[in-house]
Amino acid sequence: MTVIRAALDEMFAVIGQMVGSVFRHGLPLTDKIAARTALTNFFLHIHPVRVRRSWIRMSYTLCLGGLSFFLFIVLTVTGLFLMFYYVPSTSHAYQDMRDLQFVVTFGGVIRNMHRWAAHAMVITVWLHMARVFLTGSYKKPREFNWGVGTLLLLITLLLSFTGYLLPWDQLSIWAVTVGTNMAKYAPIAGPYTRYLLIGGRVVGDNALLRFYVLHVVGLPLAAFLLMVVHFWRVRKDGFSGGL
Amino acid sequence: MATEARDRIAARDRVEQRRRSVEAPSTVRDDSEDEMVVSFPEFVFKEFIAAVAMTAFLILVSVWLQAPLLGQANPGMTPNPSKAPWYFLGLQELLSRFPPLMAGVAFPTFVIVLMILVPFLDRNPSRRPSERKVAIILFALYTAIVVALVIIGTFFRGHEFIWDWGWVLGNPQTCGGSPC
Repeated sequence: MTVIRAALDEMFAVIGQMVGSVFRHGLPLTDKIAARTALTNFFLHIHPVRVRRSWIRMSYTLCLGGLSFFLFIVLTVTGLFLMFYYVPSTSHAYQDMRDLQFVVTFGGVIRNMHRWAAHAMVITVWLHMARVFLTGSYKKPREFNWGVGTLLLLITLLLSFTGYLLPWDQLSIWAVTVGTNMAKYAPIAGPYTRYLLIGGRVVGDNALLRFYVLHVVGLPLAAFLLMVVHFWRVRKDGFSGGL
Repeated sequence: MATEARDRIAARDRVEQRRRSVEAPSTVRDDSEDEMVVSFPEFVFKEFIAAVAMTAFLILVSVWLQAPLLGQANPGMTPNPSKAPWYFLGLQELLSRFPPLMAGVAFPTFVIVLMILVPFLDRNPSRRPSERKVAIILFALYTAIVVALVIIGTFFRGHEFIWDWGWVLGNPQTCGGSPC
């Protein structure tokens, strides 16, 4: 019996060590443990350990920046699922979309979520900008971060726009034709810019591939980099807090 | 304008005073209104609730509302009107009214540059809405124009991008509420 008990004790000790190696502190029942948890957890270290209540008042931030970031994560995850089925060529894209909608289990819901989350992100990023403007939070010392935010708003629009072409239906091709035609009007560089963007004179196979690569790799990477800078600067420049 | 300038000077003085009061070691900051709390779980909990609410909202919308999928892309058949995505419809609306160089290039570039420069152009140090009337009115005006242009582009532009009351009258021949 003592042998079994010793073996059990050893086993519990190992399990305890395993759990302890992941979660270094107990349940955050006191402020001290909670602070240590925040300090040693990778996913929580984006926050300062302590914050003033006015910084995190929901009626002030409306959580719009956080929601924009969350929508970016939702879009990354749902986008990843869509990539398993979607082939960016004019001969496959549309059929893949129909398969996603009618054949693939939960394909339609995932596609809908990707679409509506994209629209929602355009709105939340815009509203976040409005909140920052109306509270004067862009003022010294946060001038630079406002600029980074402006670029993030632009990238959000471009991500949404490049995604618009991918279903390869009548809505996609003509919306993108109209959209890229606007680039044509720039003096001298205009026609070249459009040619570079869609890889030809009309929206076809090359445009689809270019928009796809920009949509799933180029622009998300740029957005990620700018977001890292944006969040880091929020910490370094200080939360704007109450008025 | 005179009151605006006076308000601005008063605001600058107040900011200066606040800065000094923070720097002066003898001044004890009154934190009774603004206590320090641990971000975990206080802050993280709020973010979690917001994320869960957004997820629930997205799932509900996605189950009930189908994303549009029209017929396969056909380069030989241009729908009339052809519309850009809704967030670019303001730009398309401008293009239908002004010379393309102005509406398609100069104007958006100007707006983007202006936006990035906003913190350097706004010399008023105050963050209180009551002391920033000009800035807030300008921003409200800008937002109202953008929203109005997007609404016009989405709902009131029909065949040949000509003004159309179809959405209001429910004319089935126009694209009405849904983008074409």
